Amino acid sequence: MKKLLSLTLCSIFSLSVLAGCTKTKPVAELNLYTWDNLFPKEVLDNFTKETGIKINYSTFDSNEAMLAKLESTKGGDYDVVVADDYIIEMAIKEKLAKSLDKTRIPNIKNVNPLYQGHYFDPKDQYSVPYGAGIQTIIYNPDLVKIDITGFDDLLDPSLKNSIGITNNFRVIHGMSLIADGKSVNEENIEAIEKTGKKLLKMAPNIRLIKEENLQDDILSGDISVGLMYTSQVTQACVANPKLKVVYPKEGVGFGIMAQFIPVHAPHEKEAYTFIDYILRPEVSKTCFENVGYYSTNKEADQLIDKKYREFLTLPSSLKIDEMEVMRNISNEAMETHARLWTEFRSACGQ
Amino acid sequence: MNKKYNIWFLLFPFYLFSIVVIAFPLIYMVLLSFQTRADIWGVINEFTWKNYQDILQPTYLQTFVQSFKLALTSTFLISIIGYPFGYFMAKLSKKWKKRMLLLLMIPFWTSSLIRLYGWIIIFRTNGPLDQILMSLHLTKEPLRMLYTYPSVLIGMVYILLPFMILAVYSSAEKMDWSLIEAAKDLGATSFQAFCTITMKLTLPGFLSGIILTFIPSMGLFFVADLLGGNKIVLVGSIIQEQLLKVHNWPFAAALSVILMLLTTIMITLYKRISHSTELEGVL
Repeated sequence: MKKLLSLTLCSIFSLSVLAGCTKTKPVAELNLYTWDNLFPKEVLDNFTKETGIKINYSTFDSNEAMLAKLESTKGGDYDVVVADDYIIEMAIKEKLAKSLDKTRIPNIKNVNPLYQGHYFDPKDQYSVPYGAGIQTIIYNPDLVKIDITGFDDLLDPSLKNSIGITNNFRVIHGMSLIADGKSVNEENIEAIEKTGKKLLKMAPNIRLIKEENLQDDILSGDISVGLMYTSQVTQACVANPKLKVVYPKEGVGFGIMAQFIPVHAPHEKEAYTFIDYILRPEVSKTCFENVGYYSTNKEADQLIDKKYREFLTLPSSLKIDEMEVMRNISNEAMETHARLWTEFRSACGQ
Repeated sequence: MNKKYNIWFLLFPFYLFSIVVIAFPLIYMVLLSFQTRADIWGVINEFTWKNYQDILQPTYLQTFVQSFKLALTSTFLISIIGYPFGYFMAKLSKKWKKRMLLLLMIPFWTSSLIRLYGWIIIFRTNGPLDQILMSLHLTKEPLRMLYTYPSVLIGMVYILLPFMILAVYSSAEKMDWSLIEAAKDLGATSFQAFCTITMKLTLPGFLSGIILTFIPSMGLFFVADLLGGNKIVLVGSIIQEQLLKVHNWPFAAALSVILMLLTTIMITLYKRISHSTELEGVL
């Protein structure tokens, strides 16, 4: 009896091994690594339908987590990574990104040249822009008595306890530095200290400091002025068209999100196919409309639905040459920023 | 001889686990706090006191004060609500004790983060709380409760209250109630009996309740971040910011070491006061 049982078990086991063998027929795959919800589901599904390449979508919460992961896999495991400019600079410096063969990405011609050749990849050798973010001010004209045109207007006492800002000191200090006539990437400690002192005057106006879903608070009325990321501004404006978007008169800073292929990507061919697919104007259009970032694809600009076009394409009054991209700054400057930011946050809670 | 060897062998996995999961990260953190940060990423092996010196800057000392203040206030509130709650719970009938325990446990089935989002919805301008208060004509306009200090306190009390209740309950439950009867027979009033007997016998539970609420409240920065709109800056929040945004790992490690030292001092004080070596009511 026992023998019979073990014989049956053995045969089941060996059969299942054989079954496993037949299944391992090579299936084209692509390991995509980025934030959650950065690609609309229909775009990914259509890609699989068209090319037969299965997408394994892995997510990270922060750029830093992504870099740490790439370091531990020595630039392997993943085929396409989408992340922010400054972290791509680090990845390139650490030789974790592959130098791109542009002949394999014919659609690269669709990329808006305004977003190319920036500091993190000056020769566009490693990365392809996927979207851009611009920090803007957004306010509810029903609740705000003054006309907001620039960053320094946020110091107005009539805005007491009504402003919500993003929890990122580089963005907030950066805007304040631009308003002071300095660079977003200011390295001079004195200038940073000075801008920090100025910000303390804004503290009584601050009701909320938060990174995610700031749009909910301007829609609920918890805040009447917001300083937030592009994708949040888009969502807020779509939900409440009465909200006013302001490009600070002093100028703005912006950031670029881009795709790159890790140096030891296991499915290189599929990675090129994917990047080229995303750069198609109609695919890009769907992405921008769903994700809410600025369009970096000039052919897609015209296709974007009128409802969004105003928020998703750069206003003609803005000259990108006059805008600055945020980049990595010295440790000393960074530590000063962080200390001033702690001081500012504490002052807001007083 | 052989028997002893066997026991050691059985304990081995536990020791290994403790070393790998507790001791090793702790040692790593302490070592990290004396290292120098590298230019782009990570750390370099260069001994420095700088990280500890940086904590002495008024801005960062202030966050320790702020954490301490919030922990103290919430522990006080939790004590005055939780002590009577646990005490009266111990006096209930067996059936009701079970029901109350179950009711206390149910919230733990959901992540505390998600429960806090519930409070955000309640406190929102023109949210349920405002609607109720305004429809009862108790307030004329929205309270704007969200992102204020009181809403943070409510969140802290809400998250930590069960720990105090369970600690007090477990020591009140073990109490020999006939002692109270004896005291009354000997002429003590109910109040005198409570002060001289109940208070003393439930003190260990109450003190462990304080420890169980005070220490986590030093670290529960996400409550202050979510309900206080990041304006009440606690040490935990600074550690997170230094680690993820500034990439200054050694400084974050130094802050953690100091926070842990403060916690250890608290536990030592507790042991001195209560003369006990175990925390009561620990789940």
